[in-house]
Amino acid sequence: MDQKTAGLNITIFFCQQLDIDQDKNRRTLEKELGSQIRFFPLPCSGRIDPLHLLRALESGADMVYLIACPEGACRYREGNLRARKRVGYAQKLIEEIGLEGARIELITGTAATPATIDTIARELLMRDATVGISPVRSKG
Amino acid sequence: MITAERKPMAEIKAMLAPYRKILVVGCGTCVAECASGGEKEVGLLASALRMDAQMEGRTIEVQEMTIDRQCVYEFIDKLTEVADRYDVILSLGCGAGVQAVAEVFPKMFIVPALNTTFIGETKEPGLWVENCRACGDCKLGYFAGICPVTRCAKGLFNGPCGGSKNGVCEVDPDSPCAWQLIVERLDSAGRNDLLEAIYPPADWSRQQGKGPRKIVREDQRSES
Repeated sequence: MDQKTAGLNITIFFCQQLDIDQDKNRRTLEKELGSQIRFFPLPCSGRIDPLHLLRALESGADMVYLIACPEGACRYREGNLRARKRVGYAQKLIEEIGLEGARIELITGTAATPATIDTIARELLMRDATVGISPVRSKG
Repeated sequence: MITAERKPMAEIKAMLAPYRKILVVGCGTCVAECASGGEKEVGLLASALRMDAQMEGRTIEVQEMTIDRQCVYEFIDKLTEVADRYDVILSLGCGAGVQAVAEVFPKMFIVPALNTTFIGETKEPGLWVENCRACGDCKLGYFAGICPVTRCAKGLFNGPCGGSKNGVCEVDPDSPCAWQLIVERLDSAGRNDLLEAIYPPADWSRQQGKGPRKIVREDQRSES
């Protein structure tokens, strides 16, 4: 795969409700990219905790994504709204230690164009990287 | 519940600067409830400290531990086995917890990670409000369970002041008028008679000017 984020370790937390075949779809990409990409399915994006996001960065992720359902489409009504706040909180925490807040990003699709988890992940990998290798990894 | 907020990272880092082996200790009671010093917050702070050190090329060792209460010896004692392996204890307890831990480990340096703020109530998820000043002379029984010392901006015992509008305090538009609440609650409880009384000024000597306060209950004390 001709990805623009080559060399970066990507961690993706995502809501399982997005893709009923998420287990099969994410494993395809995991096999393709090996340890460069790690998926963590959540029953709802509202299950995310800032601690998950920080631990991912501490464990060597250069970029951490949380993929949530579109606003208004959360099965549990407001899980994705809570997820947005928690991502914001985690961004502030890492900025306090001099790490770019952009290393944590919330991705919300649109209800009109539902996509499988591997398709969304491939799109993320094809985006121009806004951050490089994390200083936590490079200097650690 | 005692509430607290985490200190800025720069302040915590400055206090920890001379130390390499850090024991981060949380408290599972009040500060866990107000999401400032429980197990999750210990994890967040420890993780941030480790990443910060890695980015600056420093080698540190950070261990996480959360005990049920930092203000009771029986719980603090759980740190005894591990404490001497570290250079410093970073406490996420309230001020009472930090001091209790310091007393149990007189040779260790203790650093507070939190600013203890007030005695309050969890109003809703993510919102804590002060409702007790620990004045030592509780008069809630006369005021329908609403403390005018804490919740009235003017601390009036003989209110209302007349300045509230639509049930909102004129000093702080985000707060309901404590005296409006008192009158409504006394009315619904059929105790308007309590509004007729004139309440003398509080005895502030119970709270201030005598050093730290103590409560002694002989029936709770050990014989030795």
